Formats: sequence, structure tokens, C-alpha cells
Amino acid sequence: MSVYKHIYRAYDGKVTPVWTRVFVLARYGFAEAWSSKITIGLFTLCLLPPIVFLIGIYLANNSIARALMGGLDPQGLPINARFFLILLEVQSWFALALTSWIAPRLITFDLADNALPILLSHPISRFGYVLGKLIALLASLSVVTWTPCLLLFAYQSYSSPLPWAAANLQIAAGLLAGELIWIAFLSILGLAVSSWVKWRVAATGAIFAAVFVPAGVGGIVTGVLRTKWGFLLNIPFMMTSLWQRLLGAPESARANFYLPTGAIVATLVLACFICAAMLNARIRAREVVRG
Amino acid sequence: MGIVDLNGLEVRLGNRIVLNGLTGSLQGQAIGLLGPNGAGKSTLINTLLGFHPPSKGTARVFGLDCQRDRAEVRGGIGYMPENDSFIGNMSGVRFVRYMAELAGLSAGEALERAHEALFYVGLGEVRYRKVNTYSLGMKQLVKLAQALAQGPRLLILDEPTNGLDPIARQRMIQLIKEIRQQGSVRLLISSHLLRDIDETCDEVLILKDGRIAALCNIEEERRSNRSFMELETVGATEKFSVSIRGLGCECACFPGGRIKLVIPDHIEARDLYVIASEQGVQIRRMNRRRDSLEDIFLRAMDNELGRADHVSL
Repeated sequence: MSVYKHIYRAYDGKVTPVWTRVFVLARYGFAEAWSSKITIGLFTLCLLPPIVFLIGIYLANNSIARALMGGLDPQGLPINARFFLILLEVQSWFALALTSWIAPRLITFDLADNALPILLSHPISRFGYVLGKLIALLASLSVVTWTPCLLLFAYQSYSSPLPWAAANLQIAAGLLAGELIWIAFLSILGLAVSSWVKWRVAATGAIFAAVFVPAGVGGIVTGVLRTKWGFLLNIPFMMTSLWQRLLGAPESARANFYLPTGAIVATLVLACFICAAMLNARIRAREVVRG
Repeated sequence: MGIVDLNGLEVRLGNRIVLNGLTGSLQGQAIGLLGPNGAGKSTLINTLLGFHPPSKGTARVFGLDCQRDRAEVRGGIGYMPENDSFIGNMSGVRFVRYMAELAGLSAGEALERAHEALFYVGLGEVRYRKVNTYSLGMKQLVKLAQALAQGPRLLILDEPTNGLDPIARQRMIQLIKEIRQQGSVRLLISSHLLRDIDETCDEVLILKDGRIAALCNIEEERRSNRSFMELETVGATEKFSVSIRGLGCECACFPGGRIKLVIPDHIEARDLYVIASEQGVQIRRMNRRRDSLEDIFLRAMDNELGRADHVSL
């Protein structure tokens, strides 16, 4: 083929290794996600809390700045596990908003125009396809979750006149682990829901619903049956408990509502399996009519 | 080794056997896949692409097992699906580039080939428009462009002229002929339109109810000097056809007393008149003609058992 000759020319160049095709999907997915102005707007919004927390850390470690601000009490702004827990929670819920916008863009365009037969006719498996999209979503969410959290931790470590970092390494590990668990869960949930709801706006709503509707059901179960296990359906409650334990922050839940960490992890794993089954059912090159 | 080798291939979808013991070797430059709706054409293509695992037997493309060596097989295939299949939100050139990169081309090569492929199929001027703004014919062409851009060894076209107006259809057929003449790529074209296959292919595989009804080389059939004759008769046509089979003729009966037959060299038309006279059958019309794909197809469809050996020419 040639643009000016208009004849067919066979391709005899090199081909890339098969394993790199996943990253082609991820790259195109990432570009698709960030081509939207709403994504940029949400991303900007997601960066506002870290800036506020950055100012907080600056003030906590700079006596001159505190004096200029009217003599703020240094004890009133403690930089500890609780401080980073609030940051983690805020960023995590922003990540949910970002997921609900980005995940449908990654999947529904392919499903709406029935692109899967063409996509999967290339040397890429269904698992590879989902993995590529997952990487795109994880990368997008990482930018607003653990990356700013760890940067603020690093800034606090640098700014603190005391040897703060060594004594608080659990916070850094907790921030990283807590956010990775959350964005991995959000990513697979977002892709699974998006694969079943072709209409993007509905998919956005469905992702929020998938997080908050079970929480309501869990509340009813807890109230009616007088059992704490209903909270296993309450993802915000579960995640908050998990984050508190990972960061070493004091637990806010009452003792009789205490959920074992094993139960929380098992519930999250089960939810991920359900999402994987949903993706397995939908991400196919051909619909097979059983009969 | 053929382009496609089928060895007792059976594919089940749920409890239904869709492909039933297909055996054969397809070797042509352009292979036509014919059959009525539901015969298993698309299922065979999907099996070659590794979408459906065989329940029995094997399917091989260029000697590679379609299930075990799926990635390698797919790497050598350019696939144009029957139905709409594209990413409407992307521009034509971005879509084709994306597909070429997935097939293994580097980003730079993929972009270059995407432009070339789109110009080649005639979409050069609209390559920056989003695919969902394309007309039906343009969507068919962009699917062909993405299949070509990667430079496949085997190009699978599933109903390439589906939904095209006569001019667009002619253009598509012309493109397919050009690709075939170029010679570096083999073609497997599925269609239920005999004319499309007749114009573009040199070998045909006819499927019926998931079985091979006929597998023959159209070019060879065309080249052969066998005499084909078409009769229009009145009277005991069935008995007459049995008698002329006794002479060594191959024949197929059609409604209305029509008989199509292949006459061996030693048989004359006069012999047919003698038998007709003995059995009181009137021969109203007698045409000598070359065998066409339509005849091959009709004979294959006429065969009740649908066995390849019963319909081989």
C-alpha cells in the first residue's frame, strides 16, 4: 500500500512481543479517559484537598507562618495517622467519582459499537483486554490517590524538625496499601458495572449505586436482624475500618460493630470475584445462544 | 499443508452441534465459504479465530492449531466481521492505527500503514472523521482497512458486501480482486451471495447444516472440459434420470422436470433421446452449458445427506 500509489503492500517489518499488546490497550484507554474535559475538571478537583493538606503540613511545621496567621496553636494541627486518614478518605471518595466517570468511557464505547469481535480477533485474550483497561484505570486513579498521599507524607518527613518519618512508617505503608486496595476494588467494580450498562450516564450512576445501595441494604439487615454482619455490605464502613487499622489510627466504630479484618478482606475478595464473573460473561467476542 | 486444515472439527454451542465433523484442506488463493443462513459459516470463522473451542477434532491455519496457538494464528489473520464492529468515537485513522498496533506493529509503523490502508480502500479524504459518522459502505471499508493495515497472511472477510449498494458492492469486489491478484495475502470470504464468491474466489467450501456439502476448486471446474447439459423434460423424470445415470452421467433433478447433467465423453445427445423415447419422456429443451458456481451450490444443497463425497464433481 502506498498513499500515492494506491496499491496494496504486504507488511514485512518487525512485530512487537505479544505481552506488550496489553499496554497498547492501556495506552489507548488512558488517552480515551483523559480526552474528556470532565476528566480534567474532576482531576483538578481531586488535587484541591492535597493542596489544603499541604498548607496544613506547612503551617504545622513552620512557626513563622503560624505567627503570621495569627499565632495558630501547633497542637491544634497535629500531623499524625488521623490527619493522613482524613486525607486518604477524601481522596478515596474523589477516586470513586473519577472511576464512575472514567470506567464507562473505557468499556462502553467498545460495547456500544460491538468492537469486541474486532479487538479480540487480534493477538489479545479476553483477560488481556480487561487487564489493559484495568491498567488504564489504575494509572488514572493512582494519580489522585496514593501518589499525592505519599508525596505529602514525604513532605511532612522533610519538613518535620523531629525524626518523624521513621516513627511513622506505618502511615506511609498504610496509605499505599489502603489506596491500592481501594483503587483495585474500584477499578474492577467500575469495569464490571460498565460492561453491563452500555449507556454511559447510567453506568456512572450504577457505579455509585453499586457502592451505596448495598450499604443501605446492609443497614437494614443490621437494624432488623440486630447483627453487625450487615455492615459487610457497607463498603464505606468496611473501607474506613480497614484504613484505620492500616494507618494505626483510632477506630471510630463502636465495639459492638467491630468487623474482623479477615471478614472485610474476604468480602472484598468475594466482591472482586463477582465482578470478574460479570466481566467474564460480558467481555466476549461473540454472544453464544445456548440451546 | 493447506491454508486451513480441518480434521473432524466439531463445534457445539450449548447443546447444539453447529459444526459437525468437518474434514478438509483449503488451499486456494481465495476461498469462498458458502451456505444458507445457519449453515455454520460464521461459526467456522469464529473457530478459526479461536473464539469457539472445538468439542472434537482440530482446525489449523497455516499449520497452527487455532485453539492452542491462538495468539500466533490471530497475529497472521486480518478479520473483517459481518456486523458493525468499530469504535465509533474514534477517527478512522486512529481506529485503524489502534488495530494495527494491537496486531503487533510499532506505533509509527501502525500510523503509516493506517493512512495507507485508508487511502487504499478509498477513505483517505474522510480518515479524520469519527467512524460513527460514516455511511454503511464506509463502515464496511474501514473494517477492511483495519484488516489490511497489519499486513495479514490470511484475510477473513465475513459477508463483505453486506448492506452495500450496487456501486459500493462493485468497488468492494474490485478491491478484493486486487488484493487477490497482489498474491501476498490469502483470502477466506464468507457469503451467501453466489455472485460475490463466483467473482472473487478460486476455491469454494459449501456448508449445509454444519457439514461440508461440497469442497471444490472453481478454477479447475471451469477449466475442465466436461460437458454440462440442461434438460427440460415432461413425463417420468425420476425414472429417466435413473436411466441416464446408468449411462455414466452425473445428474441432478430440479422441480418442473429440469435436469442438469454432466455427460461423459463417450455419450452423445442422441443416446439421451433414445432413452427418453423408450420411457415416453419428452425432451422439450436441451442446452449445453458450462458448470457454474450456482450449479455446484444447488447440487450440494440438493444432496439430502449433505456428504461431500456424494457431490464431488
